[in-house]
Amino acid sequence: MTEQIDKALEREYEAGFVSEIESDTFEPGLNEDVVRRISAVKGEPEWMLEWRLKAFRIWQEMEEPDWAHVGYDKIDYQAISYYSAPKSMADKPKSLDEVDPELIETYNKLGIPLHEQEMLAGVAVDAVFDSVSVVTTFREKLYEAGVIFCPISEAVHKYPELVQKYLGSVVPQKDNYFAALNCAVFTDGSFVYIPKGVRCPMELSTYFRINEQNTGQFERTLIIADEGSHVSYLEGCTAPQRDENQLHAAVVELVAMDDAEIKYSTVQNWYPGDENGKGGIYNFVTKRGVCHTNAKISWTQVETGSSVTWKYPSCVLKGDNSIGEFYSVALTRGAQQADTGTKMIHIGKNTKSTIISKGISAGKSNNSYRGLVRMNPGADGARNFTQCDSLLIGDKCGAHTFPYVESRNPSAIVEHEATTSKVSDDQMFLCQQRGIDPEKAVSMIVNGFCKEVFKELPMEFAVEAGKLLEVSLEGSVG
Amino acid sequence: MSHWFENAIERGEQLTLSAQRTASLELLKNTPWPTRKTEAWKYTPLKAVQGFNATASEVLAAEQIEGLQAIDVVPGSELPTELPAGLTMQWLAADDVDASLFQQVKPNRHLFGLVNDVLAENVLQIRVAAGTEVATPIRIVQQLTAGSETHVRVLVEIEEKASLTVIEQFAGSEQSLNTLFAEYRIADDAKLEHYRLALQTEQAMSLGGSHFQLFDRSQLNSNVVGFGSDVSRIDMDVRHSGQHAFAKLNAIYLLDGKELFDLHSTIEHEMPNGTTEENIRGIAAGSARAVFNGRIHIHRDAQKTLAELNNRNLLLSNKAEINTKPELEIYADDVRCAHGATIAETDKTALYYLQSRGIGKEEAQIMLNFAFINELVDDMPNQAIAEWLRPQLRQRFAKMGE
Repeated sequence: MTEQIDKALEREYEAGFVSEIESDTFEPGLNEDVVRRISAVKGEPEWMLEWRLKAFRIWQEMEEPDWAHVGYDKIDYQAISYYSAPKSMADKPKSLDEVDPELIETYNKLGIPLHEQEMLAGVAVDAVFDSVSVVTTFREKLYEAGVIFCPISEAVHKYPELVQKYLGSVVPQKDNYFAALNCAVFTDGSFVYIPKGVRCPMELSTYFRINEQNTGQFERTLIIADEGSHVSYLEGCTAPQRDENQLHAAVVELVAMDDAEIKYSTVQNWYPGDENGKGGIYNFVTKRGVCHTNAKISWTQVETGSSVTWKYPSCVLKGDNSIGEFYSVALTRGAQQADTGTKMIHIGKNTKSTIISKGISAGKSNNSYRGLVRMNPGADGARNFTQCDSLLIGDKCGAHTFPYVESRNPSAIVEHEATTSKVSDDQMFLCQQRGIDPEKAVSMIVNGFCKEVFKELPMEFAVEAGKLLEVSLEGSVG
Repeated sequence: MSHWFENAIERGEQLTLSAQRTASLELLKNTPWPTRKTEAWKYTPLKAVQGFNATASEVLAAEQIEGLQAIDVVPGSELPTELPAGLTMQWLAADDVDASLFQQVKPNRHLFGLVNDVLAENVLQIRVAAGTEVATPIRIVQQLTAGSETHVRVLVEIEEKASLTVIEQFAGSEQSLNTLFAEYRIADDAKLEHYRLALQTEQAMSLGGSHFQLFDRSQLNSNVVGFGSDVSRIDMDVRHSGQHAFAKLNAIYLLDGKELFDLHSTIEHEMPNGTTEENIRGIAAGSARAVFNGRIHIHRDAQKTLAELNNRNLLLSNKAEINTKPELEIYADDVRCAHGATIAETDKTALYYLQSRGIGKEEAQIMLNFAFINELVDDMPNQAIAEWLRPQLRQRFAKMGE
């Protein structure tokens, strides 16, 4: 059985190729001048630069957090390059035809079609390559509906009043170490604005790709759903296979105004490093949303990549009757380490939150759920239900649960439960007895284990997520 | 740095200490005073400890537990001379305390364990010879008197196939500070029945813990009752160092007024086939704060472990708060582990049901609160203690209703 696990875990990382694209890349290093240069390259207005510099000064005063259940070599922030853009992007191609074919080829290889006519289900894509947004599809069609979907660097110029109002309103500069760093050096990301009462006509998607060596990716996403609007947003990511660790410190801010709904789905498949933990992406991400009255934010994540994950998509349930949801599948194998979970801060009355977290550990990996549910004194009638299940495959991995539950309101009800189990011999025997080979059986059992989360994913993503798990677990049990 | 803490280190420096206790002093000097950012003290401010100044020391025997025949031990006074066969007890001199002792309270987990290492003026050693079943419980009583500061260490060794019952009892409400750490070594096939009755209230501060090391097929049945005071903190640590050991841990906390009660439990499953059952129930009223942190750690070799933790809480006032964190850390795959935590108020429909049967609201509330924890009182193997506790708990509930 162990042999088969080992064999299966040797599987290749399919997105691990490198694209030969000439890039303009900053020298490694970080200081105020670098922040100024990033701002200058983007041609940003003065207020944006000031905002970045303020964040940079805050970051310098902060200490890197060490409370997560992960271990990694100290990051040398001076050895990272903070900006890298494909050369062909320098003169801003007007349409897809002007974009470097190598770039388009890269996305095709990853199965992300950028040609609008090839789109199947009508998903609008913003493709971010290293530090810049390459192309955003279906923009006109979205514009007709009043939806703004563009790179955030463009939004800074075109919609400064919106950006100024909401940037940092959910995740302020001083929020945490990695968020502060992101505020100072973020290069691109997506900006979404859904006007009042509009139901976004198609799914929006951003696909992040790190290509250049020794670079960090610091993207920033800001989604504003105005009163009564609705949007479903997907995020995917990959990176080449390299021996060095690369840093990815993103910030995602969601604002759901009264009666609005945001559904945010992620399939995270950054390069996880090799079996011994060499290389891979450090994925240190801050994601948070604010729900106003009757609003709803739903986070769904499938985490299969990165060598170290530090990520807690959270909801601040500010308005009465608002709803927060968190559905997560985190799979770790090899030497991967994941410390992920959510925070649900109940402020308004009758706020509700649901947390379903499924952790699967294989190989020598460690998988932790870390969460916070807080009922503030004003959260009358609030309700939370949390379920964290862990599945262990093999005897060298670890599964951990660290839930913080704090209640200051008697009428609020909090429930938390966690279980740990393994793929049992009985289950395997039953499947094999019925002629299902062991690999398929594991895949079935794991898929069943994750079903509650997969059913929350948009269709295309559910398929991709299912496939990812299948490949990852190939032959895990014999 | 705090006044009391500096003072404690200074006092330690003036003592003639054994090598081991000197090492603890060195560690203590390098340990920062906990802040809100110190994970183990996140919800438990130690301001009251910082401001404490010992003014008097008086030893008092505490109230008897009615119907309970026990061997009473009062720290600072003479030990009873007539003991059952196979049971030995003695106060250890400060320089006797080395080698096998002070093994279980891990310095990185508990700052006050280190304080106790250095300052413990009373070190009680209890030994039960192999095969001896001691029927009479031993009761270690700490009556916390005004202005007193006491540090007590209890070291219990239960040899193979022996059994013992120990009650650690605390009482008092006057301004005082106490640390009591008990270490139990439960050898193969031995049994321990244990009670920690932390009934000190108001300004009587107590920080300490009961630490158990279990060997092959040994059994632990531990019961904690806590009322909360300015600072009440208990660490219950269980180490499964043998196979097929069984640990049962029940705890109740009932808080009111401005009381604070902080219970940390750590279960280390180091060996295969161990079982742990934890049941923790708490009620917080007034503007009290309850803290529970229950960690279960399954080591790589601890296959076939069965560990369950259940923490249920009632929050009765919108000024009170309950913070709970059940933790699982698992490194073995063939185990069954689960934990659950809930926080809610008294079930409104149950309250309505009782009222509809002509029971007054207050009385109904008391009945329901009592029912919530009575299961664990009923579960106490020693009925004399359960009987003695019930009226005191009832009295607490009556006060909570106000």
